[in-house]
Amino acid sequence: MSRVGTEVESVLEQLEARQPKMVLTIDEYELPVTNLEKVLWPGAGRHRALTKRDLLRYLTRVSSWLLPHLKGRPMFTTRYPDGITGKSFYQKHWDKPPKFARTVSIYSSHNEGDGEYLICDNLPTLLFLAQMGGLELHPWFSRVDPAPDARGRSRKFSGSEANLERSVLNYPDFVVIDLDPYLYSGREGKGEEPELHRKAFKRTRELALRLRELLGRLGLTIYVKTSGRTGLHLYLPIVRKFDYDAARSIAETIGRYVLQQWPKEVTLEWTVVRRTGKIFFDYNQNTRGKSLASILCPRRHPLGTVSMPVHWEDLEEIYPTDFTIRTVPDILEDRGDPWANILESKQDLSELLEQRSAG
Amino acid sequence: MARAIWSGSISFGMVSIPVKLFGATESKDISFNLLHATCGSRLQQRRWCPTDEVDVPWAETARGYEYSKGQYVMLTEEDFERLPLPSKHTIELTSFVEEKEIDPVFYERSYYLEPGERAEKPYALLLRALEQRKLTAVATITIRKKEQLCAIRAHEGTIVLETLFYPDEIRLERGMDLSGVKVSDRELDMAFTLIDIFRKPFDPTEYHDHYREALAELIEAKLEGKQVVKAPAARETRVIDLADALKRSVEAAKKEAAKPKPPARARTRASRPARRTRKVG
Repeated sequence: MSRVGTEVESVLEQLEARQPKMVLTIDEYELPVTNLEKVLWPGAGRHRALTKRDLLRYLTRVSSWLLPHLKGRPMFTTRYPDGITGKSFYQKHWDKPPKFARTVSIYSSHNEGDGEYLICDNLPTLLFLAQMGGLELHPWFSRVDPAPDARGRSRKFSGSEANLERSVLNYPDFVVIDLDPYLYSGREGKGEEPELHRKAFKRTRELALRLRELLGRLGLTIYVKTSGRTGLHLYLPIVRKFDYDAARSIAETIGRYVLQQWPKEVTLEWTVVRRTGKIFFDYNQNTRGKSLASILCPRRHPLGTVSMPVHWEDLEEIYPTDFTIRTVPDILEDRGDPWANILESKQDLSELLEQRSAG
Repeated sequence: MARAIWSGSISFGMVSIPVKLFGATESKDISFNLLHATCGSRLQQRRWCPTDEVDVPWAETARGYEYSKGQYVMLTEEDFERLPLPSKHTIELTSFVEEKEIDPVFYERSYYLEPGERAEKPYALLLRALEQRKLTAVATITIRKKEQLCAIRAHEGTIVLETLFYPDEIRLERGMDLSGVKVSDRELDMAFTLIDIFRKPFDPTEYHDHYREALAELIEAKLEGKQVVKAPAARETRVIDLADALKRSVEAAKKEAAKPKPPARARTRASRPARRTRKVG
């Protein structure tokens, strides 16, 4: 068994002990974990509540699939210290990150100075975030390592906005599209976001399939995952020749095109009222520092659903609540990660775009 | 019911009846935005000052009366506020006339009057008096800074207020003088016969705006994509259009990046959608 495999087995075994708190030994590091019986997801119907211990087990079991998607990416987290029914807040910067965590200093125009971002590259960091109640993981779409497709780009991210704009962190690996249905089930309270329901998901799925076909005719392959809540996330992996502004512009152009074709299904509107009854095509996340919930990331849903990568062929069969922190480890062990090769499947958009200009 | 556009009271003699005013009619015309036909962008209306060569914010605007070509006298908000408006919150009844005395050419817009708080009794009293005497009251009211002549009459159990044009707003020039044209009794009898054939009670529900209905159908069809007959072939070309659009968008983004940028702080604020401060992904 590989060293990583042993590490996973060891942590799972330690978590078997019934104490409410303990110090986990992970490889050479020690991580104190507390309140292991604290309920983070209340459950619903026949599904029992999920505790912090369940979350630690889940992350440990999926770590070999999850960590590659977080590698080299500055990230922030949404912390829910009292579970998903309690209050939540973002955390971007850590004053005293644990010594096993990789960090990177990045200029923040918001703070007008440099800030330390966490990069979640190993199991102890992943479990540290869970210990802090950081349920949702939001990695950037760009990463600090230029190899192999952005060699020569700068790795200086601190000091000024200009440094950051010149750096490899200004060149995302993906163009992302967030399909977010604003189709209400009728059971929501006033002012609440739409809840998950069959009809809305079906329409979102149909739109995603149309997008796949549309981009397919341009020779582009796009990846799909459930958002873990009501919608779908689509990722187009690209060779890092285009910066965030270009990526956003590409996503927006696709959005406007799709809006033209299916004006009754799609909206690009920012105001919730004008989105109602349609699927919000959100291209706004193609911005440096913004993020969508990571692949395999647990979400704010009573059952503890996670954002699950799926094969297009399976999209007709699945439903977001099929994938929870309880079910996903077995599914992954059984079928693997459909997104495992996403970074090896990057598409060079300049070929498409420059070929057009020649013709 | 919609929001009252005005509230005040009807006054005549010693009587004062609190009332609220609601528009009785609404235009159902389909409205359009003006686009640039070659690219589909929505055109912006700009308040442009050709002297200073700047866009002018509302706060810097004033109204000018052109008293001679290119010569203006400027009026400010304060000037308007100083104008005497005696009927500001009252509908001042001045006389009662028979409805047919007012020619329809005077009618401008119709409003419903509803009784104000605890005014049902005097309101009903005025309504019944108007109904039984079959009379219309002539009054003045100030709506949106303009003192207006109006008629007040009973209509199906409600008091209706019709704003009227002032006589000097009615154009005096008429068509040509036809008094010298001779028409025989036989011709007139024929006209009467024709009219009698078409004689029937007025039923407004028989009439529709056919143009508007056709327009709505056309828009619906365009939304459904029905105007594209040869769908498969057309779709191919449309995908190529997308590729072209993508190319243009990337070029535009590159040009944008080459420009000097405004301060980063302002730029990040502006590009942040409102909702995303709370919810991500």
